[in-house]
Amino acid sequence: MPALLDARSLVKHLGGRRVVDGVDLACESAQVVGLLGPNGAGKTTTLRMLYGFLRPDAGSIHVNGVELGRDLVRAKRAIGVCTQDDTFDGDFTVEQNLSIAARYFRPRPTDLGRRVAELLERFDLAGYAREKPETLSGGYRRRLMIARALVHRPRLLFLDEPTTGLDPQARMGVWDLVDGLRAEGLGIILTTHYMDEAERLSDALTVLARGRVVARGTAKTVLGDLVGEHVIVVDAGPGAAVAAWLTARGRGEPASVLGAWHVPVSGEELAEFARAFPTLRYEVRGPTLDDLFLKLSLAP
Amino acid sequence: MSWLAAALEWQSRAVVGRHLRVYLRNWYTAFLPPALEPLTMLLAFGAGLGGYVMSLTWQGRPVEYMTYVAPGLLAYATFMTAIFQSLFGAFIRMRYQRTWEGQLTTQVELSHVVWGEVLWAAVLSTMYVAIISLVLVALQAAGLIALDLRWLPALWPASFVAACGFGALGLFFTAIVPTIDHMNLPVFLIVLPMGLLSSTYFPLEHPVLVALNLINPLYHLAQAFRGALIGGPVAGHLAGVVGLSALLLAILVPLDLRLLRRRVLGD
Repeated sequence: MPALLDARSLVKHLGGRRVVDGVDLACESAQVVGLLGPNGAGKTTTLRMLYGFLRPDAGSIHVNGVELGRDLVRAKRAIGVCTQDDTFDGDFTVEQNLSIAARYFRPRPTDLGRRVAELLERFDLAGYAREKPETLSGGYRRRLMIARALVHRPRLLFLDEPTTGLDPQARMGVWDLVDGLRAEGLGIILTTHYMDEAERLSDALTVLARGRVVARGTAKTVLGDLVGEHVIVVDAGPGAAVAAWLTARGRGEPASVLGAWHVPVSGEELAEFARAFPTLRYEVRGPTLDDLFLKLSLAP
Repeated sequence: MSWLAAALEWQSRAVVGRHLRVYLRNWYTAFLPPALEPLTMLLAFGAGLGGYVMSLTWQGRPVEYMTYVAPGLLAYATFMTAIFQSLFGAFIRMRYQRTWEGQLTTQVELSHVVWGEVLWAAVLSTMYVAIISLVLVALQAAGLIALDLRWLPALWPASFVAACGFGALGLFFTAIVPTIDHMNLPVFLIVLPMGLLSSTYFPLEHPVLVALNLINPLYHLAQAFRGALIGGPVAGHLAGVVGLSALLLAILVPLDLRLLRRRVLGD
């Protein structure tokens, strides 16, 4: 059975710059793939190619077995898109937004009235069905955006930073929805800047930097490969000796956060560090995706 | 020619359907402006200016100014409605409401959005012309104008065709103006002069304007309406409307698509 999404060797130039450079990405049913990377890594451009906004300069994209470049309209029947910004139709009510969106698909969803009612109920929007979307809170707007992306029963859902700007409670509400959709068999491509969100929701991560895939796998694998097994957090103030220790190992200056250095190290390096600085006060913690972003941002 | 095929595809009709649904929500905002506008214009140009002009010559015979203006009003409404809908209406949907982006996340493609806007501008223009036609019938019954209204509905399709071309022109400006404030430039430099210098409200005899109007679909539309309603040549002007509108569409729709692809999709 082919993957729901199978993108290979994607290349895209924008403004004379190679923004995406040979990216491969795949997603199966009932899988959430997190697409991560610092700003300018090529995430949005990749995503926009995957859901048909942009045409790749090279490479191929298959959605549900249909090549996007050959039959975009048919391929898009299997895709639901929740863009980062709210793009609901402000001229219509919440309920009408769902039914209007359905009119942009062929074949039209059967039993549309029931489908709309079901989505309103499921996304806790029934009480706002006759309200205009702009009257909703941020969390409910996101719910409407996701519900709209699902009205035609797609098999693959793109969520572009779905919880940006939401309060913690609303974020967790969206997480529950994503969990539920995965359990129903949807394939989901998720981009986010929230590391806890990526770790919590994604079955697999693909990390982009400067338009290329620099790591893929589970969060643990990606972090181990790109960051290290541990991170030493040490005060940067009296850090000359630590800097010298790093330089001796061919390492540059580490990421600095609020006056503290965050030094990714292997298990062996941690033991060496402990021997080298027996009296120094420092903290050792596991790596997070924040460390990964810091590392990728600092990379030349 | 896929850009042309998109005009006939269901997605373009779905976009038009969406605009129509929004438009018809309020009957008073939908029907009052096109009904009141001709009354205002006829009062201002016809009764006001007409009081000084009294009558002028059309096809070698004297015609009351009110009667001369009325067909021009139909052409002017076709032009202005299509241009303003595809200029301000489309810009607001593209930039502020982000309606286009929402549509593009579905099976609707940019070519459908563009054709949807062009066709909607034409549908709305034709609806306006139909409503103004009813107002003219009322004015005729009141004895204020003297027109031969039998063939008026037969000219509505000409309004539709011309409005498609005008819609494509409006979208071209939508594609290139950086902000809504910059809309004043095409409006005052092109739209208003074109609207007024096309023999809509007064005849033009300056040789340069006469020559320019030969390639102006609005001029031909005004003359076709006038020919049918007052008496005069119609067929040649209708051919001018169809030919020049087709030319506008053939040049501007692919150009609009190219410019809007860059602007909306960043491609």
